[in-house]
Amino acid sequence: MQRLITKQDLVNKLTELLKDFEVVGPKELSNKGIFYQVIEDAKELYLGQDFAIEPIKKFFLEPSSWILRHAKDDVSLESFPQSDKKRIVIGARPCEAKGLALLDKLFDSEYKDDFYINNRKRTIVVGLACAKPDMSCFCTSMQGSPAETSGMDALIFESGDGFIIELVTDKAKHILGSIGEDIKEDQKLNKDKMKALVKKVIKTPESLDKVFESDYWDEVSRPCISCGVCTFLCPTCHCFDLVDEEKKRMRCYDGCSFPDFTLEASGVNPRPTKKERYRQRVFHKFDYFKKNFGENLCVGCGRCIRHCPVKIDIADIVDKAPI
Amino acid sequence: MKNIYLPHIAEIVDVKQETSDIKTFTLRFKDKAVGKAFTYKPGQFVEFSIFGEGESPFCISNSPTRDSIECSVKKMGKVTQVLHEMDIGDEVGIRGPYGNGFPLDELKGKNLLFVAGGIGLAPLRSLINYCFDNRKDYKTITIVNGARTSKDLVYKDEYKTWEKAKDAHLHLTVDCQEDNWTCMVGVVPKILEEIKPTCKDSIAIVCGPPIMIKFTLPVLMRLGFCPESILTTLEMKMKCGLGKCGRCNIGNLYICKDGPVFSYAQLNGMNYDH
Repeated sequence: MQRLITKQDLVNKLTELLKDFEVVGPKELSNKGIFYQVIEDAKELYLGQDFAIEPIKKFFLEPSSWILRHAKDDVSLESFPQSDKKRIVIGARPCEAKGLALLDKLFDSEYKDDFYINNRKRTIVVGLACAKPDMSCFCTSMQGSPAETSGMDALIFESGDGFIIELVTDKAKHILGSIGEDIKEDQKLNKDKMKALVKKVIKTPESLDKVFESDYWDEVSRPCISCGVCTFLCPTCHCFDLVDEEKKRMRCYDGCSFPDFTLEASGVNPRPTKKERYRQRVFHKFDYFKKNFGENLCVGCGRCIRHCPVKIDIADIVDKAPI
Repeated sequence: MKNIYLPHIAEIVDVKQETSDIKTFTLRFKDKAVGKAFTYKPGQFVEFSIFGEGESPFCISNSPTRDSIECSVKKMGKVTQVLHEMDIGDEVGIRGPYGNGFPLDELKGKNLLFVAGGIGLAPLRSLINYCFDNRKDYKTITIVNGARTSKDLVYKDEYKTWEKAKDAHLHLTVDCQEDNWTCMVGVVPKILEEIKPTCKDSIAIVCGPPIMIKFTLPVLMRLGFCPESILTTLEMKMKCGLGKCGRCNIGNLYICKDGPVFSYAQLNGMNYDH
């Protein structure tokens, strides 16, 4: 279901929703760039085409969050209370929302992680279609597109002075169905045409099994400085550590590029060099996750390429793997 | 909300010094209902919490046919160092059990060959005692247990019982000859070649340091064991124990969730880092 809305319609609706909802969206921070933040005033929203540096993941799988603590009686343990406030995310990109759909497969399956599930359940995700994918974007090679709605409740497209809103789930229809006006047939977007905006196209092999032992991984990982920015900015990287601080325990992001990620107390490290660590990252995304869940654990958002300090390009590396 | 990372509080009710750096801790859940509901299979493990320090995974080293929960711990990292300072009455956190455990049905009616090195006997001890407690289900039980020195052997109190049991053989070995040592001398793979256990209707269950496993597998193959009939239990650094935190995978399988027990046939087909 698509409807035509003006910018003012959207601002008015969000202002109304701010009474009952926490609203999260992109904000332009001077000298820093675009960041997803909690919005106090609908006018603060940045709905331009520049990408946020961090993906929306951080509002579902937080960089660090308390998960348990000693109860007041000091004998038992209890979960950290979680917010049940209703939330609306606006302006997340299709790749990032698809990232949530992939994280759902892991966190909302066998051994359900209710911290993540609670964040998902209390949130309505309204995406923003990409009119200007950049040279690092390769979502169409990852079964996505600039107008993909996977992981979303609704998607807005820039159209003239306003937006077209596509309402995907009943939740979105219920809350946002009343704004704007019905769209005429000839005003509807050709979503397939938008795929052509993405210029970077790669091939991904069904399995990387055959190249596991290849020297290729030595070669492609050589420039890596193990900084971990690729894992922290990735919409699908989810590896974490559990860390104690006195009587509390937190879960925080960790990453396969760090040497101590798999370092054992005995001193043994099964992934001692960048070769094994970078190979693990590529295999987890393009082989192991596919074997376990049927899809690549990559959405082609391009963040790891855009922000890598040594210009490692994972898309290029997978494309050129000597299969 | 169910918190899958929330441990239950357990009290240390006994501590036994096995070697200079290995202790066996006996635990009891503070909440009796939790204790009653806690069931496990030999080969499964638990996440041990020392609050303020962190969590570490340890296999449950006694059989579910016995009353208590026991874990044997080698003093190594920060959690185990603090644990080694703890005593009867102290409290720890336990969550689990996790992992697949040994395939008990597949072992029924077979000759069992246990091959252990050092602390590697811990997960096997759980299964060994389980088999002795269900003796009629298994044929001959052969145990080959090695350690660097006699001082490094664990569960010494139980050797007599194992030796005396019907249709059971215990072969103890140390790496080098020592004064007053009357059992075998030599590394585990060498001892296996000497005693030549039968591969007929047999399953070998192997656990020990990587170097021991590396040299034991070819010997077992030469003795006629097929990769499907060799089981081992692996370990790697773990955090969640639930296949989510992302570190303990071998290929697409997670040691915590899909293991820790694997057959050699399974491992042969997988990409692993070391």
